[in-house]
Amino acid sequence: MAKILLIEDEEIMIELLQKKLVQSGYEVVVTRNGLEGLDAMEKEKPDLILLDIIMPKMNGFDVLERKNEDKSLRDIPVIIISNSGQPVEIDRAREMGAKDWLIKTEFDPQEVLEKVKKQIN
Amino acid sequence: MLKKTAKEKQENTIGSLKKRIKKANVCLADQEKAKELENSQLALMNMLEDVEDARKKAEEEKEKTSAVVKSLSDGLIVLNNKERISLLNPQAERMLEIPQKELVGKNIEEIGSSARLASLARALKDWSKGMFRREVLIDKDLIIEVSTVSMVIGGAELGMMLILHDITREKTVERMKTEFVSLAAHQLRTPLSAIKWTLKMLLDGDVGDINDSQKELLEKSYQSNERMIGLINDLLDVTRIEEGRYLYQPVLSDLVSIIESVVENGKDDIKRKGLSLEFKKSNSRIPRIMMDAEKIKLVIQNLLENAVRYTPSGGKIVISVSADKGKIEFQIADNGIGIAKDQQPKIFTKFFRGSNVIKVETEGSGLGLFVSKNIIEAHGGQIWFESKEGEGSVFHFTLPVKKELEEFLKEF
Repeated sequence: MAKILLIEDEEIMIELLQKKLVQSGYEVVVTRNGLEGLDAMEKEKPDLILLDIIMPKMNGFDVLERKNEDKSLRDIPVIIISNSGQPVEIDRAREMGAKDWLIKTEFDPQEVLEKVKKQIN
Repeated sequence: MLKKTAKEKQENTIGSLKKRIKKANVCLADQEKAKELENSQLALMNMLEDVEDARKKAEEEKEKTSAVVKSLSDGLIVLNNKERISLLNPQAERMLEIPQKELVGKNIEEIGSSARLASLARALKDWSKGMFRREVLIDKDLIIEVSTVSMVIGGAELGMMLILHDITREKTVERMKTEFVSLAAHQLRTPLSAIKWTLKMLLDGDVGDINDSQKELLEKSYQSNERMIGLINDLLDVTRIEEGRYLYQPVLSDLVSIIESVVENGKDDIKRKGLSLEFKKSNSRIPRIMMDAEKIKLVIQNLLENAVRYTPSGGKIVISVSADKGKIEFQIADNGIGIAKDQQPKIFTKFFRGSNVIKVETEGSGLGLFVSKNIIEAHGGQIWFESKEGEGSVFHFTLPVKKELEEFLKEF
């Protein structure tokens, strides 16, 4: 069973995504800020990370930067799930190795699931 | 002999009489001359008085003018016809933080060496062409608007006047407003995505089966929420345009396929409203051009949405596209309610909605055409329309077919 690490601070989004992903047969580990997310990354070694950008303690960009510094974590694919989606932000995340950028208001859980499947297979 | 003497006597008498008359005349003339002299003297005195008065008046006027110049709330810099500074009023001294005596006699290039004046000097480089309300950032606490007025008297060029108007407060308020809208819109997006995701999962049956009437209600809520998201996105686009952060990512794209995808997405709405839509493709090949496809798609969506929204059932919408003389022209015609003539000049203004339109359809932010105009113009194209109230509207836009477009967009 593929393991997905969700780093997101919005409770309702966590609940919805978790439900959708678990129903589709994934194991989901939830963390609620960037720092917790980094710890979980090392411990859990997930197959994929779903990462929010605006979060308390450590934002998504800083998480990406710290992840890239660690050889054992560098190659885990990341999909950004954010409420904003400025071209500059998206470009920056891609330069930092993110595979995809989903704007929450433009995607729904089903479409997120499809993107997840694409990365894991 | 005697006779002769008598005659002589007579002549002598006449002669002496004449002399006396002459003398008397001379006397009279002298008197007149004296009188004249006196008059002239008086006139001269009067004139001198007048001149003195005029001088006083001129001085008063000068003082008045100088008082006006000094007490103007705007800064004023006067350049002579050799482009050298001849006057600075106290407001200009205060704004630029430099006393008049340090600037008088200097030209634009010379003043540019001072850090506080550098941006003004840069803006004034092409001052001979004149400028109107051009924004110049002096430092982070002072933004001024510079206008030039050339001083010409009787055809002679006397120089140029620069008016410096402090707009820091207006700009601050404007920025705060934009930031507020941007923040509010961002904050609204979070709960809106939560609503969208929740409704979608309910609709997809992810949390259990739902019956048809539940589904119908949920569908409606989902659509309302989508409209709200659209509105928030429009607001965010407007704030980005106003902050100069609306970025373009031009790639080589095909306008025809963009139109086709917009038409495909809109076909349900068109059917629901009982309208017909025809897409007339040009016989000539439409070249692929550099454009920000997402933003051009948004423009076509806006124009199609307007046509659908403001055309009554049974109406017809015709889209066509053609390529000609270095540009591509898009056109969308409807036989809808049209735009009243007196409102036509305001149509691209932000938040504007036609009075006839509000009666028909309360929905609509009045932002679509404002955003569209900005997008088309950023691509170096033009957008315009013809419309007659009660008969319909035709909107057009052009996009230039040129390599430089990429460079053009980069500047935005």
